[in-house]
Amino acid sequence: MSPRRRAETRTAYLLLAPSLFGVVVFLLVPVLVVLGLGMFRWDLIGPRTFVGAENLLAVAADGRFARSLLVTAFFVVIVIPVQTVLGLATALLLDRGLPGTTVFRVVFVLPWICAPLVLGVVWRWILSPTDGALNALLGVRVEWLADPALALPSVAAVTAWTQIGYVALFFLAGLQAIPATVVEAARLDGASAWQLLWRIRLPLLRPTLFFVLVTGVISSFQVFDSVYALTPNGGPQGVTDVVAGRIYYEAFENRAVGQAAVMAVVLFVILVAVTVAQQRWFARRTTYELDT
Amino acid sequence: MRRHRSRLTDAAVLAALLAGAVVTLAPFVLSVATAAKTTRQFAATPVLSPPAPPTAENVVALFGRDYDFVTPIAVTAQVVLVVLAGQLLFSVLAAYAFARLEFPGRDALFWLYLATLMVPQVVTIIPLYLMMTDAGLRNTFWALVLPYLFGSPYAIFLLREHFRAIPQDLLDAARLDGAGTVRILRHVVVPASRPILVTLAVITVVTHWNNFLWPLVITSGRTWQVMTTATAGLQTQYNGNWPIVMAATTVSVVPLIVLFLVFQRRIVRSITITGFR
Repeated sequence: MSPRRRAETRTAYLLLAPSLFGVVVFLLVPVLVVLGLGMFRWDLIGPRTFVGAENLLAVAADGRFARSLLVTAFFVVIVIPVQTVLGLATALLLDRGLPGTTVFRVVFVLPWICAPLVLGVVWRWILSPTDGALNALLGVRVEWLADPALALPSVAAVTAWTQIGYVALFFLAGLQAIPATVVEAARLDGASAWQLLWRIRLPLLRPTLFFVLVTGVISSFQVFDSVYALTPNGGPQGVTDVVAGRIYYEAFENRAVGQAAVMAVVLFVILVAVTVAQQRWFARRTTYELDT
Repeated sequence: MRRHRSRLTDAAVLAALLAGAVVTLAPFVLSVATAAKTTRQFAATPVLSPPAPPTAENVVALFGRDYDFVTPIAVTAQVVLVVLAGQLLFSVLAAYAFARLEFPGRDALFWLYLATLMVPQVVTIIPLYLMMTDAGLRNTFWALVLPYLFGSPYAIFLLREHFRAIPQDLLDAARLDGAGTVRILRHVVVPASRPILVTLAVITVVTHWNNFLWPLVITSGRTWQVMTTATAGLQTQYNGNWPIVMAATTVSVVPLIVLFLVFQRRIVRSITITGFR
């Protein structure tokens, strides 16, 4: 190595040292620790005892963990279509470029800037049965968060409410990237508004759709703050006991840290699998690209 | 005919957008209105009625001795400032190395950084709790900031893209003038990347002002409560006393909303560039 190269290498590693320390100590080591911790029994305070596969077996037999995976799947299945369709609809409305569009855009993103925990607390009041705003508005007395049939859809609706404006921004950027000439040409060929959407806009929005779905699914799988605020301890009969919450309660309330660590690893594996699956699904299908 | 129809469509579109805006803003307006009612007003008048007369009683009480919201605000502000300084500084340093220097192991290291983006927060909180406990840092200020202080792989990734776009001539000219790495960073790279740095700064402030799970896990008691954990705690403790709880939620979101309105153009634009969160 020439002295110059050696000097450059030294500079580079000096510049990288702090962030490398952070990445190793606060991201890589924790992943290794969580893998190891799954083989220990620990109650947060006392000594850690090696128990081998005991936690793994306990988690496999734990009906509540299986339920939390199911709850999370349901949650994702409700939130993703709702926020994607409404986000796209909002973007289509904004794309018409009517006066006030800038203001609407800012308004719609507002919930997304605020802490999900805090908005969860606000909605907990709005949805509360006797003195909440929604029941007062509708003149009914519905137990939105205490009724086992309604709790999960309610929580999912609140979460979607915080995301729609954010999702819309991506679709709007995607729509505005479509050259006006393409849309104009289709119009001249007599395409209806509906055909324009399905045949021209949506196929060209595929990369945006991919991004919105992948990031949306990954973050919905990890939902915690808003669910914690709206329905603590897993909600009525555990119907809102999402997996991130299950891990939290298992570790920090039940103090079964080893089992919680196993659950965390399972969630991690699921998330990686979901990402890879989505990547493949989108890669297999035709994509349309415009030369610009 | 065509013009007539399109004007009708425009009206429908505007109506739909307005309806969306009402649904979006209503929770904010309602929580502020409730925060401006006394407990007696809240119990005696219809939920949706405006506060008559509006009172600052709840907000004042919030900062009083019973609720002591001054501490969480101060702690949150300190956490955000320290994390912001650390993340910007260390991310800039790392991104410059990845973007502009040649050294053995560069690509492998960069992939390692990228791979960590896949690690979800809920997976790391348990091991981090263990590590912080073993280090004797549980329930301290350092426990709140250390995991985020040394830069974020995501910010490094974004900055690297921007640093690569800086013309080589600029860097060469500075180097010919005898500038070292630190001076090149300060006088060439950072000034040339101001917009993305401001964007990253805003993203960092928002993310860490709103952070909940880690503070919930690693702190206990009132000393190191942040805004989110304090709001959650207040809600649990005074369940049903909605005016005081709504005062807390209002106080929690107002700083961010102000920040958002000041930087709204940049934030709205940057969300789609960076896809943050």
